[in-house]
Amino acid sequence: MTKRELITPAATKDLYLPVMAEITDVRSMTPLEKLFEIRLPGGAELGHRPGQFVEVSLFGVGEAPISISSSPTRKGAFELGIRKVGMLTEMIHRMQPGERIGIRGPFGSGFDMAKFKGRDVLVVAGGIGLVPLRSLINYVLDNRGDFGRLIICYGSKSDADLLFEDERRLWERDPRVEFHLTVDRGSPGWQGRTGVITTLIPGLDLDLPNTLACVCGPPVMYRFVLLALKSKRLPEENIYMSLERRMKCGVGKCGHCQINGSYVCQDGPVYHYPDIKALREAL
Amino acid sequence: MARFYLENGKVAAFIGHLQQQKTVYAPHRKGRNAFAFAPVDRPQDVVLDYPRTVSSIKRYFLPPREELLSFNLVENTCEQPVVAPLDAVFLGVHSYDVHAVLKLDHNFVSGNPERNYLTRRQGALIVGVGFTPDRFHFSGSVGVPAGDTTGCDLFLHPCEGGYALEALTPDGEGLVAGFPLPAHTAGLPAAAPFHQHIYVPQAKLKDVLAHGYDSEVWEEEAEKCTSCGTCNLVCPTCYCFDVEDAVDITVTRGSRERRWDGCLLRSFTEVAGGEVFREEPAARQRHRVFRKFKYISDETGEPWCVGCGRCTASCTAGISIVSIVNRLVNDHDAVKA
Repeated sequence: MTKRELITPAATKDLYLPVMAEITDVRSMTPLEKLFEIRLPGGAELGHRPGQFVEVSLFGVGEAPISISSSPTRKGAFELGIRKVGMLTEMIHRMQPGERIGIRGPFGSGFDMAKFKGRDVLVVAGGIGLVPLRSLINYVLDNRGDFGRLIICYGSKSDADLLFEDERRLWERDPRVEFHLTVDRGSPGWQGRTGVITTLIPGLDLDLPNTLACVCGPPVMYRFVLLALKSKRLPEENIYMSLERRMKCGVGKCGHCQINGSYVCQDGPVYHYPDIKALREAL
Repeated sequence: MARFYLENGKVAAFIGHLQQQKTVYAPHRKGRNAFAFAPVDRPQDVVLDYPRTVSSIKRYFLPPREELLSFNLVENTCEQPVVAPLDAVFLGVHSYDVHAVLKLDHNFVSGNPERNYLTRRQGALIVGVGFTPDRFHFSGSVGVPAGDTTGCDLFLHPCEGGYALEALTPDGEGLVAGFPLPAHTAGLPAAAPFHQHIYVPQAKLKDVLAHGYDSEVWEEEAEKCTSCGTCNLVCPTCYCFDVEDAVDITVTRGSRERRWDGCLLRSFTEVAGGEVFREEPAARQRHRVFRKFKYISDETGEPWCVGCGRCTASCTAGISIVSIVNRLVNDHDAVKA
């Protein structure tokens, strides 16, 4: 039974009140995805970890969880990669620099980068899964000496859907990054590799106990990537994954994001694989 | 603490005494066979002997619809409405509904404590009342006997010719003060028996549920289920909500509202792009039952169902949560035997 003296609003915070932030830059990545640069009032830092998310809202339209795409090492503003899939994101896609949107957060677990120190980092990103993982990638690049190898496996439906073109070209050229790219179906003239993302994994030369894998992609992808990583004999405790659910309130109250008994907005969206292995609804 | 005798003839006057101190909410008859909590206007309209109310007193702390923000679309600004505390007495609450409020307290105090709920809940006093279990009640199986006084400030134990009025907290004593009543010296009548039972002690339920994750019962019950979400709506411990924006007719103002939601509804887990994470009705049935008997219990050690029987009494398809759980118990014991 909750103690009577705890039933008080005295220590409560403004859980549902967004901060009004300014869109400072909009870049189109594909016909469906745009990258928005957002600045909090007074240039305040968001104070996030790679892998966390914010609740983005437009008054009169609604609110949705969006993962943070920029690294906390890049100061003064943060970035959200947003796919146009519903009414809210459709409206956000019409917005211009100078306009303001509501932000709550950051929320969720994120990657505990201290645990990645000195380790090789293997990023497995499927489609829009690259959006949150780009935060981690740039965090590693901005603190390059703290980490071992950075291996990026990025798979996309087609070459027309590829995200972050400029940065991708940097990663391809950067000798400190091992970048592997594949598309499910290339358009005519596609010179690169074709095949699903799991086809990139068997050929990787991994320093096994030292490699930590970070996986994010569409729901169907996880099981197959796990199988591929297992057949590389990567230990389960070396795997982290970021999962998508409907994190409506972000503060562990509304119930929508639950995977079995776990609130994704509190315990996730980044999970250590051994922690969710037994959750039957997870993957 | 003190125990008084409140004879039937004085109940209305006692309610009047409470009304002089606070707003009083109590059960009233609605239509022929339904009962609902409502603010008391005339004390003689209050019904203290009733099977169950359609919904619990949850709605006063977590309203079915509630404004979280009001916004000005011209200025692109918003503000939080000021939530008024409830200076109220809830009279005639059954023990299981008091337990349900205590569980909601846990949810809204834990993690990120929530202002709106706690503001309303803070000043609310509860006067419980004993009840006679009908064919749907099973709170005795989840740790709530019919005369359980946990969480109450006062409790009305039905007895010959009236009630034994038990004061349980200083606030409860304060409510009675100034209303002269004789002491109740006789013992309390035994709490009435239940007609429905879960076959195992509550401590074992977590194991039973864990064992029953892949039971055929989910599919079988889901065949009947129409995913209407009534079980969620009437549940006194369900607290999940959706949030939606509404714009007024001038398109200059609007509000962000939260509304009760239910995990039995297909849209509950739907994300942008159309993926639904509990697509099958069976998975949604299981989620609800696991929420009540396992997931939260794993943290708190208590079942999160209070045995009110509302979900079963109001199910449009005749699905019984007790039958589901007992089926799992039988399956579990069959393997053990």
